[in-house]
Amino acid sequence: MSEVVEQKRGVVERKDTLCPVLIGTSGYSYTEWVDSGFYPRGTRAPQMLPLYADAFPIVELNYTWYQMIRAEAISRMIAKAPDSFLFAAKLTRTLTHERDRDWRQELKQYREGIKPLQRQLAAILIQLPPNFERTRNNRYYLAQLLDGLQGFPLAVEFRHVSWAKDSVFAELQRRQVTLVTVDGPSLPGLFPCLDIVTNPSFFFVRFHGRNCQGWKSGNMQKKFDYSYSAEELQEWNGRYLSSLRSQANRGMLFFNNHVRAQAPENAALLREIL
Amino acid sequence: MLDRSIIHLNVTDFAVAVERLQDSSLKRMPIIVAPQQAARALVYDMSEEAYGDGVRKGMRLDRARRYCRRARILMPRHKLYRKAMGALVSKVIHYTPLLEQGEEDGHLFMDVTGTHRLFGPAPDIAWRLRKQVLKELGLDPVWSLASNKLVSKVASRMVRPLGEYIVGAGEEAEFLAPLPLSLLPGLSCKEVGLLRDFNLERIGQLAQLNREQLAVPFRGRGEYLYDASRGQDRTPVLPGGTADTKFSREYHFEGDVVEQRELQGVLTSLVHEIGRQLRQEGKVGQRIGVSLTYSDGRVAVRQATQAGGTDNDFHLRQLALTALSRAWQRRIRIRSCVLACDRLLPRSRQQTLFVLRSCRELQQEKMVTAMDAVCARFGSGSLRLGTAL
Repeated sequence: MSEVVEQKRGVVERKDTLCPVLIGTSGYSYTEWVDSGFYPRGTRAPQMLPLYADAFPIVELNYTWYQMIRAEAISRMIAKAPDSFLFAAKLTRTLTHERDRDWRQELKQYREGIKPLQRQLAAILIQLPPNFERTRNNRYYLAQLLDGLQGFPLAVEFRHVSWAKDSVFAELQRRQVTLVTVDGPSLPGLFPCLDIVTNPSFFFVRFHGRNCQGWKSGNMQKKFDYSYSAEELQEWNGRYLSSLRSQANRGMLFFNNHVRAQAPENAALLREIL
Repeated sequence: MLDRSIIHLNVTDFAVAVERLQDSSLKRMPIIVAPQQAARALVYDMSEEAYGDGVRKGMRLDRARRYCRRARILMPRHKLYRKAMGALVSKVIHYTPLLEQGEEDGHLFMDVTGTHRLFGPAPDIAWRLRKQVLKELGLDPVWSLASNKLVSKVASRMVRPLGEYIVGAGEEAEFLAPLPLSLLPGLSCKEVGLLRDFNLERIGQLAQLNREQLAVPFRGRGEYLYDASRGQDRTPVLPGGTADTKFSREYHFEGDVVEQRELQGVLTSLVHEIGRQLRQEGKVGQRIGVSLTYSDGRVAVRQATQAGGTDNDFHLRQLALTALSRAWQRRIRIRSCVLACDRLLPRSRQQTLFVLRSCRELQQEKMVTAMDAVCARFGSGSLRLGTAL
């Protein structure tokens, strides 16, 4: 019975050599998911997390990118989810995209703010911006950032192709930091989709959708407006996921194509396929 | 009911921020913006550095100077601030028509409820707006997001001068509970003092009192305190101005005055300015308030009302004089006065059907129209009633 329940919530475990994976979405608090029917009609924001946790075992917290994570807000949030529910928290933008404030102070605040989550923290996602190229300064900054976050389960998502280097993967491996596998539109300059596992503890996948036109629009509603077909997900499974699962102890997969609740739909579809 | 998404954008120390855009050498320098030519000028705005030295808005300039001797004093340039405010609004208006703005203070409330299909989630709108305003105007606003104006305003206060704060829907009361009472908007110093007398320091402690308990010391205000302490605020975002929109003008006398005619003359001038603004914006005011500051620092405020409202200078003047006679009860010299017109209504273009106006009223109306035409051509101070001189 418990296996059936776990299957329903998105924990997929195989008896062979493939590791278990947790499937979820990037963010859960979207009003349009009520319009689209993922949440029942009339669902209000405070009711969303418990409902989401009925459907998926893990979520990627997006709002921690927009604002500095605060312990009291995190405590209020985790109280609404079951104890077994896991969170992957994005690193705040002031540490990745807009580094115009004292980043050491920001990092200190982040470490403090995330404390209540520690027991249910699956990973901290360091999403680096597309203009974060592999320069000497940026390498130095990233190294310091990773040092500053030592002790946390870390996953790094590069958006710029210049980081697709063996030396980068080797360094991540040395530090036991996960390289995020991204599925996105095939556009020049973007970091490619790779099945490289740099940290055997876990791999981390983000499905952004493949909307080439919307990607550079600057509008999230266009950028992440994409729905994966069953064929695309099946192909992805065969080409990347099986390989990733054979190299790590656990996998986390998040769908970021939140527009019109395509993310939970695709997450459920992938769960079915697996 | 749909949870509302209210974004509060606030460029802190707006006048200083605008002055610094004009002159980059002012950056990181303590700045006080105040009219220097007046004998008892009050601080209009100050930089964070001056604030740190104890300078506050409304403080007397000589006192502020003592607190922050290294401060650079700048004359207020209201036109410049209004222009900057207009530029700020022009960036924001693309996202929602439900936009409530302060006069020239860098405050904006935006109701973005239901815009997610166009622009994405509300935090993303707020973040993009901040980025856009910083890039295109050079102003760096604090932003906050909550389900109502009250909570979003408190959230902005929590992070100023820089930062952002998102308060999730349903978390309003928990968010406010640990905060000091002084952060709750709308509470007067007297009310905070009274609550302290009851040993209440935090908003959460206030929220533990029921309506009946609050009604004993606060009477009608108890209802507001009950709702506000729980983070409940149903007031809508009102496009075109703040919820308590009013037109006001202030005058500081060079020397304290006691002559009634002098004070009435000043009030008539202020009435002209407000009357003209009302007519330009197609509004009528139902209440005129006069606030007098005596030379000993005490303030007296009294009002006079006219049902249905008016935009006629003659009627407004009568109301102002009534309010003045109610306010000026002490035999003490007057230092400054403020004339405010509120309870505004849109002006009805429809003529009255049965009540005929007297010849005198018609004459007055014609005269006001003619005066407006002259002022429009030759400047606002070019023609005045004799009683204003």
